Amino acid sequence: MGERSFAEDVKQLGYGEGQILRGEGILAITKALLQSGVSYVGGYPGAPISHLLDVMADANESLLRPMGIYFELSGSEAAAAALLGASINYPMRGAVTWKSVVGTNVASDPLSHVASAGVRGGSLIVIGEDYGEGASILQERTHSAALKSSIPLLDPRNSLTSFARFVEEGFGLSEACNEPVFFSIRIRACHMRGTLRCRDNVRPAISMRSPVEQPSFDLQRINLPPFTYAMEAKKFTERLPAARRYIVEHRLNEHRPGPESQLGIVMQGGLWNTVVRGLHVLGLADVYGRTPVPLLILNALHPLVPEELIGFLRGKSHVLVVEEGMPNYIERELKAYAHDARLDVEIHGKELLSPHGEYVPALVVGGLRKFFTVAPPAATSVTAIEDRYAALTAHQEKARGFLPQPIDKRPPSFCTGCPERPLFSAMKILRTKDPSIGDTHVAADIGCTTFSTQAPFNVGNSVLGYGMGLASAGAVAPTFGKRVISIMGDGGFWHNGLTNGVASAVYNKQDSVLVIVDNKYTSATGQHHNPSTGTNARNETTGMTIPQALRGVGVKWIKTIDSYDMAKTIATLREALTTRVPGLKVIIAEGECMLERQRRIKPLARKQAAAGQTVVQPQFGVDPDVCTGDHSCMRLNGCPSLTLRESPDPLREDPIAHVDASCVGCGVCGEVAHAAVLCPSFYEVKTITNPGWWTRLLARARGAVIARLAFP
Amino acid sequence: MGRLTPMASGSILSLLIPAVGGQGGGVLSEWIVDAALIDGLSVHGTSIPGVAQRTGSTTYYVELFTERGGDEPAFSLYPVPGALDVLVAPEFLEVGRMIELGFVSPGRTTVIASTHRLLSIHEKIATGRAIYPQEGLQRAAEAAAQRLIAFDALALARAHGTEPNAVLLGALAGAAVLPVSVDAFRKAIEAKGVAVKANLVGFELGLGLATASTTRDTMAGGPGAPSLDPAAATAPVAVPRELDDAISAMPPSVRAIVAHGVARLVDYQDVAYARRYLELVRPFVADDAASPARVELGRNVARYLALWMTYEDAVRVADLKTRASRFARIRASAPAKNAEIVVTDFLKPDLDEIWGVLPDRLVRPLARWAERRWPHGRPTLGQHVRTTTVSGFLRVWLLARLKRWRPISYRAREEHTRIARWLDAVRVCAARDAALGAEVARAAQLVKGYGDVRRRMLALHEAIVAGVLRAAELESRRSATVAVSTALAARLRALVLAGPDGEAKVPAMVSAALARLEAGDVAGALTSV
Repeated sequence: MGERSFAEDVKQLGYGEGQILRGEGILAITKALLQSGVSYVGGYPGAPISHLLDVMADANESLLRPMGIYFELSGSEAAAAALLGASINYPMRGAVTWKSVVGTNVASDPLSHVASAGVRGGSLIVIGEDYGEGASILQERTHSAALKSSIPLLDPRNSLTSFARFVEEGFGLSEACNEPVFFSIRIRACHMRGTLRCRDNVRPAISMRSPVEQPSFDLQRINLPPFTYAMEAKKFTERLPAARRYIVEHRLNEHRPGPESQLGIVMQGGLWNTVVRGLHVLGLADVYGRTPVPLLILNALHPLVPEELIGFLRGKSHVLVVEEGMPNYIERELKAYAHDARLDVEIHGKELLSPHGEYVPALVVGGLRKFFTVAPPAATSVTAIEDRYAALTAHQEKARGFLPQPIDKRPPSFCTGCPERPLFSAMKILRTKDPSIGDTHVAADIGCTTFSTQAPFNVGNSVLGYGMGLASAGAVAPTFGKRVISIMGDGGFWHNGLTNGVASAVYNKQDSVLVIVDNKYTSATGQHHNPSTGTNARNETTGMTIPQALRGVGVKWIKTIDSYDMAKTIATLREALTTRVPGLKVIIAEGECMLERQRRIKPLARKQAAAGQTVVQPQFGVDPDVCTGDHSCMRLNGCPSLTLRESPDPLREDPIAHVDASCVGCGVCGEVAHAAVLCPSFYEVKTITNPGWWTRLLARARGAVIARLAFP
Repeated sequence: MGRLTPMASGSILSLLIPAVGGQGGGVLSEWIVDAALIDGLSVHGTSIPGVAQRTGSTTYYVELFTERGGDEPAFSLYPVPGALDVLVAPEFLEVGRMIELGFVSPGRTTVIASTHRLLSIHEKIATGRAIYPQEGLQRAAEAAAQRLIAFDALALARAHGTEPNAVLLGALAGAAVLPVSVDAFRKAIEAKGVAVKANLVGFELGLGLATASTTRDTMAGGPGAPSLDPAAATAPVAVPRELDDAISAMPPSVRAIVAHGVARLVDYQDVAYARRYLELVRPFVADDAASPARVELGRNVARYLALWMTYEDAVRVADLKTRASRFARIRASAPAKNAEIVVTDFLKPDLDEIWGVLPDRLVRPLARWAERRWPHGRPTLGQHVRTTTVSGFLRVWLLARLKRWRPISYRAREEHTRIARWLDAVRVCAARDAALGAEVARAAQLVKGYGDVRRRMLALHEAIVAGVLRAAELESRRSATVAVSTALAARLRALVLAGPDGEAKVPAMVSAALARLEAGDVAGALTSV
């Protein structure tokens, strides 16, 4: 399953003592799970941790099942978090994963309960901290979730070796303090390629092969008063102190002393690489990150260990805290400790760096420079630092000046031939041709469908969360002058759209239109299986369908359409928006994810063509002398393969439309031109490779007649 | 601090790949990492996938350590602006983006880039030309980079049945900016095992290019405005002697345009029609001694009159769609060799286009009624015609035969009335000021598209011309020049060419300018446009 196949990675997961694994950070984490003897693994896909689930799925038959390890692609992050329930009663290790902070939000309820009841078996929650550049979701950090639930939070230094170590320490920590543990990994670190010296995989004591025989019952673990009070007390009298002991004993945080002992930098482990690179370019560290400035690298962000921090602060005049995200918990806590300990040390942080945004080098280098001007090192002159900083930044304004105009944004959009594009083309056409019904409120959703809000469609007035499209129209529908539309992908539908969206809307008699875009995969995360796919992540047939589910919750008006059939789509939208039938109208727009489809059929077609079999390949084209270059088609389509080129007639100044070689022949450009009555420029050309004798004969005959009549 | 200077023990080289999602920047970065590993260098690479991969801008980043053996240095997951050694760009606008972000420094960065463009959506959806100026990018890259190796990797790859990424990898190897052996790169491609043969071909291409020259490649393949060869004294297709003479009688500055115009008209209708074109153009043409504005006026009229007189009616479309040359062109672009092709045309003429080809007398009364009946969006006749079948071809071909009756058609009468109106306006304005005339002539650039789109563009064109005429009249009452009116004409055209949002602003701008002029506030009017 998934975007790529991981045969090579799967092989490496089987490696034993001393073998060298080569791959991405997330693969090292996956390997470390197996080396820690997990009994079960689950999760919900999403950048940047999808890879963990992809590889596990591919390894299920050959590696996990033989070891008795249970693997599932959970229905949602909440379902994944609830898996940890197994470790409440039974001493088995388990790991779950998702994209955070959104995933953590979805998982909060079961997470709070697990954290309250406590665990006997080590429980690791691998969260892909999708924050900053490339993040597809809102900018929040998971730190606050760790604080409120008293869940220890690891944010290890970025190297495959460090990741593997901290996965194993994570389980130890979890068992020491009876709490599940967050293992946070940043988006770039997930995809960081490096090497890892492996250890043998460990067969779990409790597994599908050696199951539990006796249920364990303990009222202490049931979240009801009075036990909840006891649980709360335990968190602060037993569990967190135990966690602190473990953090100190196992030296999870690294103290690097240095000759500039009056100074110090405290940082999140995950920012170590950026900080030492910053020091390096300013001339204060070598390539190995050895620096005269003392460092305290916090690989464990929660709980903090007062003694450790006070010990670091003692005898220093200035300390800089490099902490990504707000609130700045570490900086504040540090200041509090310093105050309580009556330490005469100035603690800097957000005021020198930035209260918000990803801590990229430009920002960190700037902050370090400011720090060293207020707190000059003894052995390096500030002017030397200033000179290096100037050398680094001097060119930048000038370079920008070289550009004749600012560079256009390049927003992500639907792939070439995507089945979702024609739906939004249809909606835009209806909006322009018949505003009385088509120009209405559209509640968008999370997933590839979110791109409908971007140019050229700009369809979608709000995005409220995964599978929340319909729910977010709940109060708009009854208070809006026209029938409103909400969008949902099949991924979002199965994630929670069915209950929070559809069931709730039917229950509350909402009169609106829901369009479910069913492309058979959870595509935005990399074509992950979902119930619409027909098979689960373990490739077992499931036989669940969206219409069944809809009827089950009482939807009466259901229409299924082929999303490439533009006329039908527009007609169905029009009907849904105008019909007298009250209540929820659901349109299921079907069309397989084109990325996945091409991955399947392209190699096949190549093979067949090579074997001399007849292969028909459609592609689209634009007659360059017919197109007048008004670009109306672009504003309704936006297909990457539909682009511009110069007109063959030099009299025409504006570029004309052109379909490039990447076209997969989905036909949307032609259908759009047709449905919106744009122009006669588009044509489809079916190329029949290795045609049969009859096809050839017919073509020759036709060719002869046409050649006779046609003018040059 | 001597022990801590960056040079103390080997140094870290950084390489950034700014790509467009779906371009396979990932494979390129993996090749580089693998090659370094093969050569026993310690290296790491990272990327920003996620939704950014879906046609958005995305980056891949590689760091390698020049010192072999020993322990691993502290690699960074991000490039440091001002400390980047190599930029490998599979698309040219992304080079501009990296310059904007400060990653390309003249003192340090080698830029290896393909000059081809994947147009951003914003460049595509404007009604006019919004493509980022290629020469501007080229100049910026040359100025910002320490060394620039830029060539059209896509064209090269297509020509040799390989991928641009492989060509760029070759160029990287050839540029010898990394301590990685050429052979290690080859081995990396083989190790990956994907389309090895084709990729090696591409690699050698790039390698040759980068090693052979100190490449500052000219922008082969980069999109740029079409050029009219001013020297072209004759029409690009054979036309009768008399027309050729007429063309060569034109001053050099307009000759090429008129030549193309005449050719287009003969191809569209016949010699007589081309003669009519020449007669209409002549009064606007000034010899090259005249002021630049006068010359520009003649060039604009010659250009847009030729385009307008060859308006795309159903007959023209049918004619173009049934030409032997068209089928030849399509067959040539077909991917496979041993293949037959079936062409299906998406035709959907609306009522106006259908009876536009019928005689004016017959249709006019009906047309009047229809315009009232369907003020916007006329009924249409949609059809998918397979023009490579005899029946399908005939249907379209027969329509093309109506060419002979075009001159008496309803559409012809309509278009020529409009053309006359436009030319009159140009004449009137040119009489006041040549520059104004030239601008009003350019307003015909907006007349394009089919069906509703064309009707909309025509309306805008006529609104602009009318508005400018009125403005010129008012302005000349109060001032010696018609600077406001000229600026207004230019501004309005630019607005429409920017797209629908711009179109919406046209009426307001016209009335604002007119109001100010009527109030005698010429200066205010000028600032308002």
